[in-house]
Amino acid sequence: MTRHTRQFGPLLLILVVVALVPVLFGVGGITNLLEQVFAFALFAMSYDLLIGYTGVVSFGHAVFFGTGAYVVGIFLAHSGGSSGGLLVGTCVALGMSILLSLLIASISLRIRTVYFAMITLAVGQTFYVLSGSQMLQPLTNADDGMTVPLPVWLTHDRPVYYFSLAVLVLCLVLLRLFVRSPVGLVLQGIRENEGRVLTLGHSVYRFKSIAFVISGLMATVAGILYVIAQTFVSTGVYDVSISLDVLLMTIIGGIGTLYGGLLGALIIIVAQTEFTNLAGTYPIFGRYTILFGVLYIVIVRFMPRGIVGTILESIKRRSGQEG
Amino acid sequence: MGIFLTLALNGIVNGSLYFLMAAGLTLIFGLMRVVNFAHGGLYQWGAYLATFVFATTDNFVLALAVGMLIAIILGIVMERGLISFVYHNENGQLLVTMGIMLILTELIKVPFGPSELSSNTPTDLSNSWLVGQVVIVQYQLFMIGASIVVFILLLWILHKTRLGMIVRAGVYNPELVEACGIAIGRVFTIVFALGAGLAGLAGALAGPYLGAVTPTMGFDMQLSAFIIVVVGGLGSLTGSFIGSMIIGILTAVVSFYFSSLAVLVNVVVMVIVLLIRPQGLFGERESAT
Repeated sequence: MTRHTRQFGPLLLILVVVALVPVLFGVGGITNLLEQVFAFALFAMSYDLLIGYTGVVSFGHAVFFGTGAYVVGIFLAHSGGSSGGLLVGTCVALGMSILLSLLIASISLRIRTVYFAMITLAVGQTFYVLSGSQMLQPLTNADDGMTVPLPVWLTHDRPVYYFSLAVLVLCLVLLRLFVRSPVGLVLQGIRENEGRVLTLGHSVYRFKSIAFVISGLMATVAGILYVIAQTFVSTGVYDVSISLDVLLMTIIGGIGTLYGGLLGALIIIVAQTEFTNLAGTYPIFGRYTILFGVLYIVIVRFMPRGIVGTILESIKRRSGQEG
Repeated sequence: MGIFLTLALNGIVNGSLYFLMAAGLTLIFGLMRVVNFAHGGLYQWGAYLATFVFATTDNFVLALAVGMLIAIILGIVMERGLISFVYHNENGQLLVTMGIMLILTELIKVPFGPSELSSNTPTDLSNSWLVGQVVIVQYQLFMIGASIVVFILLLWILHKTRLGMIVRAGVYNPELVEACGIAIGRVFTIVFALGAGLAGLAGALAGPYLGAVTPTMGFDMQLSAFIIVVVGGLGSLTGSFIGSMIIGILTAVVSFYFSSLAVLVNVVVMVIVLLIRPQGLFGERESAT
C-alpha cells in the first residue's frame, strides 16, 4: 500500500494540479498550450512503447498521428461536426491504424533495425506527399488544409480541455496495464536480450508486431486529440519534423519509463512556443531546430536514460544503499 | 518514342546523382554498420557552398572542389567527434546522425536564408543538341560521365589497392583486421570521409542541374538514397548502382505523368522488393539482429 502511494502519489498530485488549471488561470492561452501537450504526451508515450520497450527506432511515427488527425478531421468536416462523425471517424482511424501498422511491421520488423528506421521514414514521407496531393483534394483540401467543426458539446475551451485530459489519463492507465502484462514483460525481455527471448521459444517478431500495433493505435488517438484541440488539420501533421519532435520528447523524458513522455512533451511544446514568440523579435530564435539537433546528440552521449530515467535510477540507488 | 528516350535520359541523369549518394551510404554501412542519417545534410552543404563559390568566382572546378571539401571536413569532424562514440550502439547511431542532420539543415539557413538560391550552369557546359526528337544537354552528359568515373574509381580502389583490401576484409571481420595490426579506426575515418566527399560532390553537381538549391533538398535526396540502398541491398556497390538507375528512371517517368507521386511509386517498389527479397536485390542474407 505504501509502495503504491509512493509510486502514484506524485502522479495524482500532478493530475489534480493540471485539472485545476482552468479554474485557477481561466481558459485561453495556457489551456490551449496544455491541450497540445496532452496530445503530444500521449504521442510520446506511444513512441516510448516502441523505442523503450522493443528497442526499435522509427522516423515516421507521424504516419499514425497524422492519420488520426486527418481521418477524424475529414469525418467531422463532412458530417458538419456531429458526434456521430467523431465516433465513426475515430473507429475508421483506429481500423486504418491497425492495418497500416501490420503492413509496416510485415515488411520491416523481420529485418535489421536500421531498415526499420529507413522504411518508416519513407512511408511517413509518402503520407505527407499524399495528404498534400491535388488528387485527394476533394477529401483533404490538399495543401490548404481544412478547418474542422466540432460537436456542440466540444465547442467550448473547458470541455475540450477536460475531454483531452480524460482521454490522456485513460490511455496512460491502459498503456501501464499493457506494459505490466505478460506480453509487456516479454517485450522488455526482447529489449534487454533478444536472443534469449528467442531461445525461450517466443516469436520475437510477433511480440514486436503487437507492440507496434498498440503504439500505432495510441499515436492515432493522440492525433485525434490534436485535431480536436486545433480544430484544423493540414499536411504538417504528417511532416517528418513531427516524427522527429516526438522522438526527442521521448528521449528527453527517458526511454522505457512511459511517464517520461509527459515531461518531454511539456518541455518541447513550451520550448517551441517560446522560441517562436522570441523569433518575432530576434529572428535567430527561428532556427531553434539547431538546438533540438544538439539535444539529440547530448542526450545519447551524456544522458541516455533521459530526465525521468536518471531520476528513477538515482532514487533506486539511494534506497538500495539505505536498505 | 521521343518522349520515352527523353525520359530515359533524364532518368539516367537522376540515377547518376543518386548513385553518388547511395555509394557513400553503402560504403559506410558496409564497413562500419552505420547508416548515416546525416548524409543528406552533407549533400546540402556541398550544394550550397558550390553554388555560392560559383556565383562569386565563376570557377566551376573550384566550386566542385569546395563543395566536396566542405563535406569531407564535416564528415571527418562528425565521424571522429560524434559517431565514433556510438559504434556498437545502433539506436545511438540513428539518433546522433539524425541530430546532426537537423543541425546541418538548419545551420545552412543562417548564412544563406530559408528561401531557395538559384544556381547557374557554367557556360562551357550549357550547350545542347537535338538528336532525333531528344534534346541532349551537355551538363547532363557531364553528370553521367562524373558518376561513371566515380563508379570505376571506387571499384578500382576496392579491388586493386591496399586500402580497398583492408576495407573488404573489414566488412567481414573488423576485429581480425585490427588484430593484424591495422588501425581500423583510421580506415573508418578515411571511408567516412570518402562517402562524405561523394555526397558533397553530388550536391555540388545537383545545384546547376536542379536550377536552385533549397533547404529541403537534403532531406528529399536522402529519402531517395535510402530507398535505393534498401532496394539495391545495403553494403553492395553494384546494388547501389543498379538501384540508382531503377529509381532514377522510375522517378523521371512517374513525375512526367503524375507530378507529385514519384515518392509513392518509389516506396511501393521498395515494399515489393522487401517482400520478395528482404536483403535487397544485391544484398547478402543476414538474420535480424
